[in-house]
Amino acid sequence: MNRKAIIIGISLLAALAAVIILAALLGAERLPIFDLNEQQASIFYDIRLPRILLGACVGASLAVAGAGLQSLLRNPLAEPYLLGVSNGAALGTMLAFVFFQSLEITRPLLAFAGAGLATIAVYRMAKSRSGMNVERLVLSGVIVTTFLSSVIVMLTTLLDAAKLRSFTFWLLGDLSQATRNGVYLSLGAVIIGTIILMSQARALNLMMVGERDAFDFGVEVGRVRMLVFGAASLVVGAAVAASGSVGYVGLIVPHLVRLSVGSDNRLVVPFSAIAGAIFVVFADTIARTAIAPRELPVGAVTALIGAPMFIYLLRRN
Amino acid sequence: MKRLVIKKVGIVVILLLASLFLVSCSSGSVVNSNGTTPAPVPMRQVTDDLERTILIPTKITRVVSLAPNLTENIFAVGAGDRLVGVTTFCNYPEEAKSIAKIGDTMTPNMESIIALKPDVVFVSTASQIETFMKTLEANGIAVYVTNPTTLHEVLRGLRNLAALFGTEETADPVVDQLTSRYAAVGNTLDSLLRIDEDMGAFIECRKPTKVFVQISKEPLFTIGKDSFLDQVLQIAGGYSATWNVETPFPKLSKETAAVLNPEAIILSDSEDNQEPNDAFKNSPAVKNGRVYRVNADIISRPGPRLVDALEQIARQLHPEKFRNK
Repeated sequence: MNRKAIIIGISLLAALAAVIILAALLGAERLPIFDLNEQQASIFYDIRLPRILLGACVGASLAVAGAGLQSLLRNPLAEPYLLGVSNGAALGTMLAFVFFQSLEITRPLLAFAGAGLATIAVYRMAKSRSGMNVERLVLSGVIVTTFLSSVIVMLTTLLDAAKLRSFTFWLLGDLSQATRNGVYLSLGAVIIGTIILMSQARALNLMMVGERDAFDFGVEVGRVRMLVFGAASLVVGAAVAASGSVGYVGLIVPHLVRLSVGSDNRLVVPFSAIAGAIFVVFADTIARTAIAPRELPVGAVTALIGAPMFIYLLRRN
Repeated sequence: MKRLVIKKVGIVVILLLASLFLVSCSSGSVVNSNGTTPAPVPMRQVTDDLERTILIPTKITRVVSLAPNLTENIFAVGAGDRLVGVTTFCNYPEEAKSIAKIGDTMTPNMESIIALKPDVVFVSTASQIETFMKTLEANGIAVYVTNPTTLHEVLRGLRNLAALFGTEETADPVVDQLTSRYAAVGNTLDSLLRIDEDMGAFIECRKPTKVFVQISKEPLFTIGKDSFLDQVLQIAGGYSATWNVETPFPKLSKETAAVLNPEAIILSDSEDNQEPNDAFKNSPAVKNGRVYRVNADIISRPGPRLVDALEQIARQLHPEKFRNK
């Protein structure tokens, strides 16, 4: 690890700490942080803090998934949304939402299942007799994504007006349903997912050069693929079940990280996790406060920031 | 030469046959094949709730409703038998369920509506469908926009509807009864009730209860400024804890919810809204067990059953006043 990477890593961590502190100080209600009464303490510890931490986990999840998939597929556009992983998770969550309303634990479970099944479907479609190539994989991802989108749209016709409103808001990305248990679940998923991706970072570096070359260097390409897809399904499933579809994080965060530290995945993966957390916590602070006491869906804010940023990156390169 | 003539005659015959065929097909439409219009249906001008002047037949026989509250209103004024199309949300009264469905309020099906040949389509401003309205009007179907936003507007709207359908005889006693039920709630609550000529009423209650209306638990939706329930709560001896929040159905910050401290919580009774949001766990409403449910359809539709909602809420908020009733 070179000196530059260490400096960037430390400044990212400092920025994350700063944005979390800022987010903790801001909210729909003004709280005297050092002198909280019982009610204010409840707002701070039961509502604001879990939401900030969940935002951090969701941001980290989506960003590491994006970083892993982009390297694996050597495609800068690869991210959980493009590859159907998010929509699989969204469909799973929605099924839980429609059929097991009262059993909230079914949401993350079905989200994992949905993300996993979507990934397997993409995988199987992309696999041909001659092996698998990246173009086929991306194309399969797009097909699975659009197919799952239409299933979701069709399912919304089953919802009554009140449920439709809740669901639509959730689908746009909403962190307001954060609970402590939700935070533990997402935190667990993102830690496991990031560790898996980190363990494959060296292999991913080789695969970015070319799968054949990687194979020649002794990389078990199939195993790496499975682990990266599995880790992506895990973190994206947890993120989507907790917060719906928060877009652009998986796309722009790894790009920005690569611009600053280069493409070594041993750095890109952990730095993306931190930067993704910063991005979502920041965006959600805007979502919570911009029109208080009402709220915006955080997905709308990330898209509002993310889209112009992505265009800027495109023009720069 | 001869052959050419035969050809020409042949073409003419084919054209004649084709036009005959077209005439037989279009006999049901407004314009005949020879370009004249049939005896004109007597029309009149009316103004809808958006102050738009529209032309509708003097005698309305076929109408479509694009919102469940409008369907209930049309039935209430005794014109339910003229409804030929309703939305999939229209589940009340029972008869509404057997009427042809034209989709839901957000995505009504244009072809189904036009095929039903209605004189008028009733829409609420809530159904954001401007382009849709233009298409209907281009097809010679009048679009009447009505969306009452207070209990008074509901009652006045019922009288307007009755005048539109010419069913005042049936409707007047119904509306009178609704009005007196609503006045009775005010009287029972021992409040000062003044009704001005324009049906706008002003109510003062001695001890209004601070009420939070929870439309959905997660994400937390409530009622805000300009909700038709605002006034209902006031007549029922309460007031909305979120009366000053923008938009009629805002998604509320839980932080704000946690400091509202409502004395009572009313849940719109639906499967996913059976208990107050956790943000209210320390509120007086939860601590004192003052959490009530009102049927989601009744509480969400500015229609005749809003008086039912009013009576239920008044009883929930001030049970002591209704002990002997």
